[in-house]
Amino acid sequence: MSDQFTLNSMALRNLRRRPLRTAILIAALTLMVSALVFALSFVMRVNASIRLTSERLGADLLIVPTGSRGSAEDILVENRATSFYMDRSLVDRVRKIEGVDKVSYQTYLVTLTGLCCSVPSSMVVAFDQDSDFVVTPWLKEKLGRRLKKGEAIVGSESAFNINLGLVEVDAMLFGSVFRMVGVLDKTGTGLDTAVFISDENIDDILKNGKMTIKAGQVSVIFARIKKGEDLYKVMSDIENSIIEVDVVMRRDVNKGLISTLGDISKIFYLTLILSTALSLFLVWAIFTAIANERTREVGIMRALGAKEKDVINVFLVEVLVLGVIGSIIGIMAGTALSLVMAKTFSILKNLPVDLTVLTRVGIGAAGLAFGTGVCALGALFPVQRLKKLEPLFVIKQE
Amino acid sequence: MAQIIVQNVTKAYQVGAQTINAVSSVSLSVERGDFISIVGHSGSGKTTLLSLIGGITNPSSGSISFEDRDISSLTSDQLSEYRNEKIGFMFQFASLLPLLTVRENLLLPTLFSKGEPSREEPSSKAIDLIRMVGLADKIEAYPSQLSGGQQRRVAIARAFMNRPDVILADEPTGDLDEDTERDMMNFFLLMNRDAGITFIMVTHNSDLAKRSHRVIRMQQGSILGQ
Repeated sequence: MSDQFTLNSMALRNLRRRPLRTAILIAALTLMVSALVFALSFVMRVNASIRLTSERLGADLLIVPTGSRGSAEDILVENRATSFYMDRSLVDRVRKIEGVDKVSYQTYLVTLTGLCCSVPSSMVVAFDQDSDFVVTPWLKEKLGRRLKKGEAIVGSESAFNINLGLVEVDAMLFGSVFRMVGVLDKTGTGLDTAVFISDENIDDILKNGKMTIKAGQVSVIFARIKKGEDLYKVMSDIENSIIEVDVVMRRDVNKGLISTLGDISKIFYLTLILSTALSLFLVWAIFTAIANERTREVGIMRALGAKEKDVINVFLVEVLVLGVIGSIIGIMAGTALSLVMAKTFSILKNLPVDLTVLTRVGIGAAGLAFGTGVCALGALFPVQRLKKLEPLFVIKQE
Repeated sequence: MAQIIVQNVTKAYQVGAQTINAVSSVSLSVERGDFISIVGHSGSGKTTLLSLIGGITNPSSGSISFEDRDISSLTSDQLSEYRNEKIGFMFQFASLLPLLTVRENLLLPTLFSKGEPSREEPSSKAIDLIRMVGLADKIEAYPSQLSGGQQRRVAIARAFMNRPDVILADEPTGDLDEDTERDMMNFFLLMNRDAGITFIMVTHNSDLAKRSHRVIRMQQGSILGQ
């Protein structure tokens, strides 16, 4: 029996002394940690997705017809089908700009459900397989070969729409039958709903008269610049020498989204700061009340030989137990919330990157350290005051 | 050689602009195995003198030595060790921790002892002591389940837990009925005689004071006579 009675067991019993007060403290810490875990999960996932999307574009610069910068972002970021064209001769003019290493292009063809084809409303992207460095790397990975004429590979969302999975299916596009031969990985861009075809097919599409596009037109030119070249200078050279185009830097493609997410993140962090301040205040207030309530007990303990570290030990165990319990529940709640939101928030639903188990463990560890740290910080001053207590002061008070 | 030497000790408190000497220029010598009673009116400095000897507070001036060791110069932790190892306190008030059982209250001082105590010894000692104060059947009771007198007897038993050299008792029998008071005084005298424990006891009871070896009378912070 005697070995069960320790300073630690005393601390645990103190927590059970006022269950409602303990529950309120745990609830406050739970709220704070769950806000932290959710905010970190959201921000880290979105950031990783933006980085991946940007990397997958493969080009340093996107060149679009003047005034179509927004339309390009509509396609790349927001899944909005739109079309804009410029003359293919501009591809060579871009290629000749000093500092440009590789150039490729794509033509965006909008499909409308029920009008032209059997594929639901989506973007058909025709690309030049000889010069392409944007789609081809994925294509090699998924298909292991070039697309033949009459073949198409689809984005992850389109695959869902046309039930393409294990077997190849044929679909009507602009009056021609295309064999869907594969599905690309999710990119989180608008191109996830697109169907990719080789630009050899454009002539047939034009012959079928299903499109308003004229021969020799393209939508976007992708440029990769040479190593060591000044990106801004090349961008400026292109815009100055070719007035028919606008140039978008790769990292600016998601600028609007990044800005929106930045605002959302600020709201999260503000909520986090407020809940942290509230928790700190609550822990401080409750531990001040606890310290006042136990002044006599601590005085007796000190008179019986308790050192300052013994007093700290008792309170530290209480603080740690509260912090750990609150944090663990908070981590579980925050993680659950982030998983539920990932399925309901449209901004999260289309993200190509999910957090790895390791990242989630890291976020959990951060939540645990934060929750316990806030609890310890809040209790610091009341406990400091208590440990310095002169026993005589307590005895005289009686 | 005296066990405790109090030399010209003053304990002053600042109350606003006024300085109050709770104990004023007190000198006292206590031999090992002494049984001393301190008597005097309320506010005469009895409890403060006991607290100074017990290292619960430090003197404003003067020195207190215990077995040739100046305790007024000890650090906070060293004073804690001193209180834990050498002194057994019986406070003026019910000093049990309400969350702990009688057994745990008795074991409390052992938690602060240096080193790892043997597992069985403190618990069996607690049982022995609680039997000696006549509360063997209350060993697992909580203070709230005890009367004031029973709580006082538990506090008395606790003072002996760490085999102290000196017991500092501040009106230890205040809540007890006459019979129990007599029993407790006999218990103190037994421990003083057989275990050689020094007793310094504050009391208002002149009959109890008469049974001690020496009576010290205090008034306004000073010793009037011994």
